[in-house]
Amino acid sequence: MVLQASSSRLNKARKREVMLTAAVFLLPALFFIVVFILYPVVHSFELSLTSWSGFSKVAPEYVGFANWKILLSDSVFWHSFGNNLKIVVLSILIQLPIGMALGFVLDLGGKKLRPLKIAYFLPYLMASVAIGLLFRYAFDPYFGIVKVMMSWFGKGAVDLLGHPARAMYAVIGVICWQYIPFYMVYFMAGLSGINTDIYEAAIIDGATKSNYFWRIALPLLKPTIKHACVLSLVGSLKYFDLIYVMTGGGPVYSVNGVHYGATELMATYMYKNAFVTNQMGYGSTIAMSMFVIITFISASTLFLINRGGDRP
Amino acid sequence: MHKLLSVILAALMLLSLFAPALAEDKVITLWHIQTQPPQQEVIEKAKARFEAANPGYKIDISVYQNDPYKTKIQVALAAGEEPDIFPSWSGGTMIEYVLANQLFDMTPLMEKDNYKDLFMDAAIDQVTYDGKIWGVPVENVAVAMLFCSKSAFEDAGLEYPTTVAELEAVAEAFKAKGIAPFALANATKWTGSMYYMYLVNRIGGAEVFMNAANRFKPDGFLDPAFTQAGEIIQKWVKAGYFNEGFNGLDEDNGQSRMLLYTGNAAMYLMGSWFLATGASENPDFMQNVAIIPFPVYEGGAGDPTAVVGTVGDNFYHISANCEHSEMAFEFLKTMMDEEGIQERLAVGKLPPVKGLKVEDPNLQTILDVVSNASSVQLWYDQYMSPAMAELHKDTSQALFGLSMTPEEVNKAMQAGIDAQ
Repeated sequence: MVLQASSSRLNKARKREVMLTAAVFLLPALFFIVVFILYPVVHSFELSLTSWSGFSKVAPEYVGFANWKILLSDSVFWHSFGNNLKIVVLSILIQLPIGMALGFVLDLGGKKLRPLKIAYFLPYLMASVAIGLLFRYAFDPYFGIVKVMMSWFGKGAVDLLGHPARAMYAVIGVICWQYIPFYMVYFMAGLSGINTDIYEAAIIDGATKSNYFWRIALPLLKPTIKHACVLSLVGSLKYFDLIYVMTGGGPVYSVNGVHYGATELMATYMYKNAFVTNQMGYGSTIAMSMFVIITFISASTLFLINRGGDRP
Repeated sequence: MHKLLSVILAALMLLSLFAPALAEDKVITLWHIQTQPPQQEVIEKAKARFEAANPGYKIDISVYQNDPYKTKIQVALAAGEEPDIFPSWSGGTMIEYVLANQLFDMTPLMEKDNYKDLFMDAAIDQVTYDGKIWGVPVENVAVAMLFCSKSAFEDAGLEYPTTVAELEAVAEAFKAKGIAPFALANATKWTGSMYYMYLVNRIGGAEVFMNAANRFKPDGFLDPAFTQAGEIIQKWVKAGYFNEGFNGLDEDNGQSRMLLYTGNAAMYLMGSWFLATGASENPDFMQNVAIIPFPVYEGGAGDPTAVVGTVGDNFYHISANCEHSEMAFEFLKTMMDEEGIQERLAVGKLPPVKGLKVEDPNLQTILDVVSNASSVQLWYDQYMSPAMAELHKDTSQALFGLSMTPEEVNKAMQAGIDAQ
């Protein structure tokens, strides 16, 4: 009896000690989250209520929710959001299947295909700015590789980046080129997580490789696919760098006298307002609304796809 | 023993923290956008002269590309991390800096010993706001000129155009030979704007834009001169006077100049800094270049000598936060001393000072054009506030892309200026 009481006291003491240690270890992370995430979010919200120019030393003027009202009726912002959705949908439809196919083939191919593994992974290692410049030149209608390829089919130069209807798809193509290797590796990791016993058992039972992929590997990869979708979704919604380097949001075109950037995204539009036209207040409003939109979409997506659980 | 050693080591490490602050020189930071190596060297040499003459001071230089710099400096100013000396193009951006208390007022230093008289009056005018001088005009008298490939004109047996009608005839002739008449990289947007500015200037005169941008007249941007200029540009685009895909090409990466160098295009409307850029990129081609003023528009109200450009191009400001503002000003003076002026001439630039003696015939052409100009219209995107500049650049690109009519552009510009 006495022994039990003292051991429970010991347990409690140990628990408290563990909690304390955990807290101490978590503190540094908490510090960085507060300084680099929480504070900027709160401060951005504050700024979104002002008409601050972004560099003025004169105290910013408080304008209440005026910026937010403008944003709700700002067709350029909603058009940019639409462009983001285009990237979301096309990225998931293009990058994930190709990434998975490459991952599956390379996984089965083993050591023989190692050179390909490295080659396919290379694009992901390049900096976005370098990729942007590379493709800027590749798409050049006079000197680019695309022109040469078109001439094989007897076609002339194609204006990809300067044409409002094509620019977005041209850039999405480059984005896919950059990110397919990432999903390839991601799915390879997922595939290597499947027990080889299962593969061997399936083959002994007479399954073909395609049977194995569609009926065994794919269902088992479900959690990996879900997470890849969410990663791609969030990445696409906050996308910025390649667009900024390749088109700067342009080319500009107009509908009913209102002009839009054909490749303008929420992030590039935010950047322009905050840093180019000196409307940091409005830029912060866009940043905050991105925060709200992305949080809402990813939270509801996570909720929807996790409803069924991770079971195949 | 170990303890003693660690104490000594710790003490040494602590000392080393203070050492730089004690021994090091006073540092003046400078950002500039003269990316071409010979031009970078001009500034490096000024740094060497300054540091030799002023022991204890060091100049720390960072070089940026033109368009990225524009946003880089905004961010730096916002964060209070701006360098001691940095350039702008004067105009609307400079005025916003002044209103935000970001610039050091250099009027007393400029007026001391009448130093400002070294510079062309028009250059000083560009950095004067509210009766005070906020910058030193340094780099270049740069006006937009039509650069023509001599060999292309000779091969086609064509005369250099003096009127817009002749220009169109020349363009048709080049087009028939499969050469793009104009090289244009308009993803950068201010490049196409040059055609627009000149046409407005030639058709309606220099006042049309000044009246509109300063709201001297109501509905200034609805002036027929803007409409006509827009219509001519769209006519040219439809006729194929510009190279393929111009709205997707980047001027900073030289995608327009490549067309000119390779003979794919015959003419190039560009700021006269092209003389310096071209000389370092492709000196052979620069032997082959003819420089003509933008043609006259028959029946237009504009003065044929008027030019679009800037008397100074880059004006260097001193940050209001600079701790050594007088020495920073000394450095700017070093940049513009006799050697600095000569070195700029040597790399193909016209520093904005009075009484320049020029040997290079191309530079002489520019100098003559500027000296005889009835007016020098500063680039629209530098003259107006950044928000209006962005609007102008966007609508002008849409105009070139044929997706906005000239009337729609005018309306958008007028709505923009009315909202300010």
